[in-house]
Amino acid sequence: MEKLIEILKDINPDIDFETCENLIDGHLLDSLSIISLIAEIEDAFDIVVPAVEIIPDNFNSAARMMNMISRLQEDS
Amino acid sequence: MTLSSMLFAGKVASLTSFFSLAYCLAFLPVCIILYSLMPGNAKKYFLLAASYIFFWLISGKLVIYLILSTFSMHYFGLWIDRTQNKMQLQLAQSEKEERKNIKKKYVSNLRAILFLAIALHIGTLLTLKYTAFFSSNLNTLFSFFRLPFELEIPKYIMPIGISFFTLQALSYIFDVYNGVIKADDNFFRLALFIGFFPQIVEGPICRYRQTADQLWNVSKIDYINLTHGIQRILFGLMKKIVVADRLNPLVQNIFSDYTEHSGSMIAFGAVCYTVQLYMDFSGSIDAVIGTAQIFGVTLPENFQRPFFSKTISEFWKRWHITLGTWFRDYLFYPVSTSRLMKKLTSSARKKIGNHYGPLVAGSIALFCVWLCNGLWHGAAWNFIFFGLYHFALILFESLISPLVKLVHKTMHVNTEWKWYKAIQIVKTTVLVVIGELFFRAESLSAGFYMFRKIFTDFSFRSVLNEFTNIPGIDLPDLMIVFVTVLIVFTVSLINEKGISLRLVLAKQNLAVRWAVLYTMIVFIIIFGAYGFGYTAVDPLYAQF
Repeated sequence: MEKLIEILKDINPDIDFETCENLIDGHLLDSLSIISLIAEIEDAFDIVVPAVEIIPDNFNSAARMMNMISRLQEDS
Repeated sequence: MTLSSMLFAGKVASLTSFFSLAYCLAFLPVCIILYSLMPGNAKKYFLLAASYIFFWLISGKLVIYLILSTFSMHYFGLWIDRTQNKMQLQLAQSEKEERKNIKKKYVSNLRAILFLAIALHIGTLLTLKYTAFFSSNLNTLFSFFRLPFELEIPKYIMPIGISFFTLQALSYIFDVYNGVIKADDNFFRLALFIGFFPQIVEGPICRYRQTADQLWNVSKIDYINLTHGIQRILFGLMKKIVVADRLNPLVQNIFSDYTEHSGSMIAFGAVCYTVQLYMDFSGSIDAVIGTAQIFGVTLPENFQRPFFSKTISEFWKRWHITLGTWFRDYLFYPVSTSRLMKKLTSSARKKIGNHYGPLVAGSIALFCVWLCNGLWHGAAWNFIFFGLYHFALILFESLISPLVKLVHKTMHVNTEWKWYKAIQIVKTTVLVVIGELFFRAESLSAGFYMFRKIFTDFSFRSVLNEFTNIPGIDLPDLMIVFVTVLIVFTVSLINEKGISLRLVLAKQNLAVRWAVLYTMIVFIIIFGAYGFGYTAVDPLYAQF
């Protein structure tokens, strides 16, 4: 989780990623942030995030992102 | 006498409009009555039959394209699904070292199947819709370079709605490929999902997960759905025949005789066309969603008060939403997060920072989206320009956004201040109107001519003189349009504040509810543009 929070803070230091639960629905992360985030997550966690995973459900909070990462790690 | 002429094949084109007498007073009521009489399990088959009869009546033998599309998506879906199952089975039975090779082999097979499916669906659309455009442009190129070639320009008849049902069929195939849904082996369920009559002409472009099961599990019509559905259809009817159709003679005249009009009149025409297009398209979508609601089916919304947008990118999240999300999910993200683009994003972020880094890959993906969006609307240069115009605006907004934030911060601008928001909304609306001017223009050069004229020949005085010379519309017509737009604006404003006017109305007593309903009907009957002196206008988006 720490690694993910670090990536997120690097992309946008103004957001409290530990508590925020509406990153996409609240328009805090835009499509450009998502593009950065995916490139960084793939590098850091050695996974491939398919385009089909890019849905608000998977990106609305750091915890949800972590769930997706764990799932993709198990699948690969 | 042939069978097709006996069965009115393609002869009831007026059904294309959900506000024609043929639809409102014959097709839909007959459907509702027969649907109600059908036993529970037969209702879905009845909807399927009604959908095919509807398509047959408006398109005749071109219904073959819809049938072939359904067969294709059914077949490709099952092919992909079975290949995926085989892969999973082999992966489960093999050692860890072998898995990578097995996966590689199957992934390339799956990609080949997907490519074939895309080639077939997009190939058909390209052939029917764009061959003439590409051939004539190639001929121009040949003659420019004095090459001795001349391609024959074919004329294909395109079935109504092909641009919509092709995207819907592709979304199903992509979703099966991506493992979002399982392939459906029930051909009839798929046929109803893609051919459901209200959505076939102008969308919304639905996803399998959104509507397929709902349509297949329809039950008897309930009172709430019936009344809410009728209300929605009436609201759409008001937008379409009181505003859009009434403005049609004016828009038609200004855009076809554009050389005869002053710049101020052209600007007025562009505003009127934007209003007409919104009222026409969103009004038709109201009828589509209302009709579906009568049968208990919830279709996705296609509009979310787009003229309250503060930026162009926000506008496209509120206008023709199902097309925008289709391009986002099946083009923007797959391109911007492809292996090559991810590498580009990582290296660009290190060099040019968090904002501009992803913008490099993002802008390439965005360009693809807007080129396709422009082309999707039609095979002409002005549609391509329309797409690229919006690409340039959205890219520009992204480029300057760090600067704008900095200015806000240093100058202590309150972005939540209502007048600041109002200025942003006006700015976005002006940019949208300019885009629509090119969209509606007879050609790209006509669009540029009209745009130039706005700045070189502008005077408020000439508008009234020119307006009085346009046949088919007068000042009282304009007043009716203005009042109705004001009504629609007020309803939108209330909805924008998060209040559902329909729910508020539903809580009122019977007398108030029926009074509102009757007022709407009387308003439409009195002020609608129909009958003697008016030509029925086909839904504008049906031609795309």
